[in-house]
Amino acid sequence: MVEILEQLTTCVEFGKINKASPYPPALKGQDGADELCKMALDQGIAPDEVLNKALIPGMSRIGEKFSQGKAFVPEMLIAAKAMTAAMKHLKPFFTSGEIKRKGVFVVGTVMGDLHDIGKNIVSMTIEGAGWEVVDLGVDVKAEKFLEAIGKYPDCVVGMSALLTTTMANMEFMVKEIRNKFPGKVILVGGAPLSMDFCKKIGATFYSPDPHGAVEFLNKLPA
Amino acid sequence: MTHPGIESIGRTITEAVNDGEIQFQAIKAVQEKFSPDAATMIMDLTVEAEAFGCSINLSDREIPSVAGRLVGDQESVEELKIPSLERARVPQYLKAARLTVEHIGDKPVFAGCIGPFSLAGRLFGLTEIMTSIFIEPETIRLLLEKCSMFLLSYVREMKRIGTNGILMAEPAAGLLSAEMCDNFSSIYIKRIVYDVQARDFLFVLHNCGNTGHVTQSMVSTGAGGLHLGNRLNLVEALKRIPDNILVFGNIDPVSVFRLGTPEFVFGVTSELLKQTSGHRNFIISSGCDIPPDSPVENIEAFFRAVKLFDSRH
Repeated sequence: MVEILEQLTTCVEFGKINKASPYPPALKGQDGADELCKMALDQGIAPDEVLNKALIPGMSRIGEKFSQGKAFVPEMLIAAKAMTAAMKHLKPFFTSGEIKRKGVFVVGTVMGDLHDIGKNIVSMTIEGAGWEVVDLGVDVKAEKFLEAIGKYPDCVVGMSALLTTTMANMEFMVKEIRNKFPGKVILVGGAPLSMDFCKKIGATFYSPDPHGAVEFLNKLPA
Repeated sequence: MTHPGIESIGRTITEAVNDGEIQFQAIKAVQEKFSPDAATMIMDLTVEAEAFGCSINLSDREIPSVAGRLVGDQESVEELKIPSLERARVPQYLKAARLTVEHIGDKPVFAGCIGPFSLAGRLFGLTEIMTSIFIEPETIRLLLEKCSMFLLSYVREMKRIGTNGILMAEPAAGLLSAEMCDNFSSIYIKRIVYDVQARDFLFVLHNCGNTGHVTQSMVSTGAGGLHLGNRLNLVEALKRIPDNILVFGNIDPVSVFRLGTPEFVFGVTSELLKQTSGHRNFIISSGCDIPPDSPVENIEAFFRAVKLFDSRH
């Protein structure tokens, strides 16, 4: 059992999506995260063990390398793709409630901003850490965030912006959210942002990388 | 730096990126107001993608952005045609370059364009290309070939018009590892550099995504100038870049120029000049394009700091 879970962790960490995928070269022709996850479940390994002992550690390893500058955006994204390929086998167990998600993360890029690569990386990493991610997409107006928060009242909110002009929209949107949902946990991110800016606009937390966001979420009271 | 010029002539970004005459007026306004040592064009990284066929979102207050994807697999990349320089807004940018060369004759005029990997990312989807370089590298290489061929024709035309150099912006390559940057960006840029760079035409490569990890890859292109962003330690980078390469940068355009005070801008600029004073190949600049709505007082503070430093050294 330990061996298959370790192989699955390796597949996620190194982005081996499935058997057909040519990447990484060292694992060419071998089963990937897709096949190994199904195999683990077929062997009777509990779904939450597959998630917590194989998939989450895989994403955590690549996330740490990324925050240390040892892995880059492509490596993060392909690891996330491998994770997604495995997660589809766990979906029925999430739906049934057999595996509990850690919480709901509602995310989008702010009104006026169409850049989504940062949001995509963070979304996939946080999903890989065991959260349910509700992705509102790009150019998300305040009303849409408010509607989603109304639907998932215990959610954590994530907002990203890549432009200085859309950063200014972020301040307005945080205010709108706080007016209706005081105390809502709001994470912000994006290339032009900083912790100073986060504090200035009244958001809860800023992280320059997805790993920091996951660490912050993991410390939140359950 | 063009947004301050657009704002000072009472025009919008939409107008400036659609009309070469208005863009030239904005460039002229920057020259008259601040007297920088060179004239540069709008950093609009959508002109080339639009020429290929991408849909563009225009905004009066922000630079244009590409909407959606144009190609997504081997077949669509194989069918993709390399556009002519008559397409979309390319003629307006050539017009802006021509007018600037004709009317601003006392200092270098730099045209601008996007880099091949950043362009390929706009056509293929930036998130998607990041994994496709692993899964279907030959498809991406074909796309990069087509992007490079268009960019070569564009840069050659800018050179023919009489500009003194090109500022090629390749930010997406800063998201790659050094090895991937070599294989999917620098190798293509090198071919363009070797074709166009001459004593009277400087190739400046800009990459604000570089944290220091792709500096050597940028050097390998042969570009005569490297324009570096605020994510890296410029003083350390200067130690690793041969001194026959000009190095530009790297004051933070957001936290300093856009959000700072004049005093802060003055202080940061002065400090960087002091730290780099031993490097004759260094030219102070912002780390990337000055954003819209940056206070004029901040830009003035930057030039004051430079002027003071020059008077003392």
